[in-house]
Amino acid sequence: MSQDTAEVIQVDVPPGHPTSPAPPPSNPWLGRERIAGLSLVAFGLFALYAGADLPFRSESGVGSGMLPRALSIILIVLGAVQLAVTWKDRPESTGRWPIRDMLPVLIGVFLFAITIRGHHFGSFEVPTLGMAVATPLAVILSGLAAKDVRLGELVIFAAILTAVCIGLFRYALGLSLPVAPWLIGY
Amino acid sequence: MMAMFEHLGLGLSVAATLQNIFFCFLGCLIGTLVGVLPGVGPVATISILLPVTLSLDPTGALIMLAGIYYGAQYGGSTTAILVNIPGEATAVVTAIDGHEMAKKGQAGLALGLAAIGSFIAGTIATIVIAALAMPMTRLGLLFGPAEYFSLMIMGLVLAVVLAHGSLVKALAMIVAGVLLSCVGADMETGRERMTFDIYMLTDGIEFVVLAMGVFGFGEIFKNLADPEKRDVMRGKIGRLLPTLTELRQNLGAILRGTGLGSVLGVLPGNGAILAPFASYALEKRISDRPQDFGTGVPQAVAGPESANNSGAQTSFIPLLTLGIPPNAVMALMVGAMMIQGIVPGPQVIQNSPDLFWGLVASMWIGNLMLVIINLPLIGVWVKLLKVPYRLLFPAIVAFCCIGLFSISNDGAQVIMAGIMGLVGFALYKLHFEPAPLALGFVLGRLLEEKLRQALIISDGSMTTFVTSPLSLGLLLVGAAALVIAVLPSIRKSRDEIFVED
Repeated sequence: MSQDTAEVIQVDVPPGHPTSPAPPPSNPWLGRERIAGLSLVAFGLFALYAGADLPFRSESGVGSGMLPRALSIILIVLGAVQLAVTWKDRPESTGRWPIRDMLPVLIGVFLFAITIRGHHFGSFEVPTLGMAVATPLAVILSGLAAKDVRLGELVIFAAILTAVCIGLFRYALGLSLPVAPWLIGY
Repeated sequence: MMAMFEHLGLGLSVAATLQNIFFCFLGCLIGTLVGVLPGVGPVATISILLPVTLSLDPTGALIMLAGIYYGAQYGGSTTAILVNIPGEATAVVTAIDGHEMAKKGQAGLALGLAAIGSFIAGTIATIVIAALAMPMTRLGLLFGPAEYFSLMIMGLVLAVVLAHGSLVKALAMIVAGVLLSCVGADMETGRERMTFDIYMLTDGIEFVVLAMGVFGFGEIFKNLADPEKRDVMRGKIGRLLPTLTELRQNLGAILRGTGLGSVLGVLPGNGAILAPFASYALEKRISDRPQDFGTGVPQAVAGPESANNSGAQTSFIPLLTLGIPPNAVMALMVGAMMIQGIVPGPQVIQNSPDLFWGLVASMWIGNLMLVIINLPLIGVWVKLLKVPYRLLFPAIVAFCCIGLFSISNDGAQVIMAGIMGLVGFALYKLHFEPAPLALGFVLGRLLEEKLRQALIISDGSMTTFVTSPLSLGLLLVGAAALVIAVLPSIRKSRDEIFVED
């Protein structure tokens, strides 16, 4: 059945056109299920290391290290089981990891976090810029991540959304968020 | 029986005050809005609004948050029918036949049946909650730490069994969730655990940060990587109200869906997600023409929609009577109650009956409102669906950032949620379900607390969990569920329910 379909597709491709791009080559060793298993083992080992200094038992019975250590070991075992169960399966690729496409969103979120109430980086200091600056920064930067971005539309949208957010969160809901301390004092 | 109606009467007198009706309406409206919009769920919305509820009175706050949750179930079906994208996880099944009906020009009928089915389901579920409240509370008062511990273990196991896909992965997600909840100061000694002296982690990871990161940001990353095609229906919506004959044809499906939803919703471990799948499978099995399913059968919309609504409502039962949240939304409700100084558990119904019964009664009022919000305003929701994703997701980012910042006026929480978003994306890529992670995280602290209390009482003897008959029974149910799920034959039919299309 699958061979038939493959033939049909080949016949249908018009000459001169490149054949549809092959799926990303799946690594013969790794693959979604094995990476999943390995991640579990790695996470379990990391948690074991992180909680290595905690006492297993205390006078009252359960020490602060008992549950973390037990869970870490269970996690490692589950990772091993996952590896064993899926070992025979043909490794399947996890597909694209377009981290670069997400970068604008991450930068937007980061800038929001450091500008809303300011932040110190050693001697370098970001002043408290408030929602009036942080919100449009987050909106415009993350909006840049869209493949069909339209800059003009995005900027206008950011301005409207900022006004709505300030009105909604600061005035309607009464949260004590800095709005624009450099301009209006709060 | 009489007592139940007395209680509901008390509840109605609380819920029907002008102020509470307003909160109920507000909650339903916001809920419908986030339900309609794909990519914004009740979890993110409730997390954003959590700090806001601080300034409200407890009853009003809980009524509003509850309205958001079941309102989102309604809104989710609108998107599923009109756009073929489930606005909420529970509307996945509705999209199958609902959208086919829309293509045939019966969008209005599908929407109408979904709304009426949900209303009937909501009404019955309200009565179920009222009827079960007292016996469940009495049961809850019998529970000691050991029984609570076993109950939570059973709930977590059921969550694994009910989750999609691989059992090993679901189990791993729960364990990872409990493990993450251990980060931060030890509740007994105050000793820092696994914090690496990072000040953000001293008080542990905030649940809202985890939820907004994995569900909010994670969803955005997922949509950026694998864009969903949105194809807003351009055809006529058509007549909304079903005729009496159509109603009669679907009443069976509605009632069966309600029954399934009510039962599955009570299970600790988010049975509500499973309810629409189970209802779809049941309707298909008993139908005269199962081959028509998938081509726009009204029963395949009415049944699952009723199931998800009643399931959403009865999932309040474990929270309100035992103090155990069965899913992520209920975990946020715990947060909302704690903010108001109410510790969820069997004592709530006695200490503040007006809050308890007011909340229950408000659910019925809310369901009535939802029919009114949804049907005549359908044009507004359709317009909303035409907002392009390129503008929608920056708005979600902004709302999430503001919500995260307002938890503790700390930008660090925003950054942490961003990192959690990447984790959420990795989980999606590796086919891990994030829901069991959230559930494990939520129950983690309670689990450790009860484990410690139980072992202190028993002088450190682990046998305490099997010597109490109640605790043993709960553990056995959990073990049985796990064994059954591992058995190959049942596993196959379990997979079938989820792969159904």
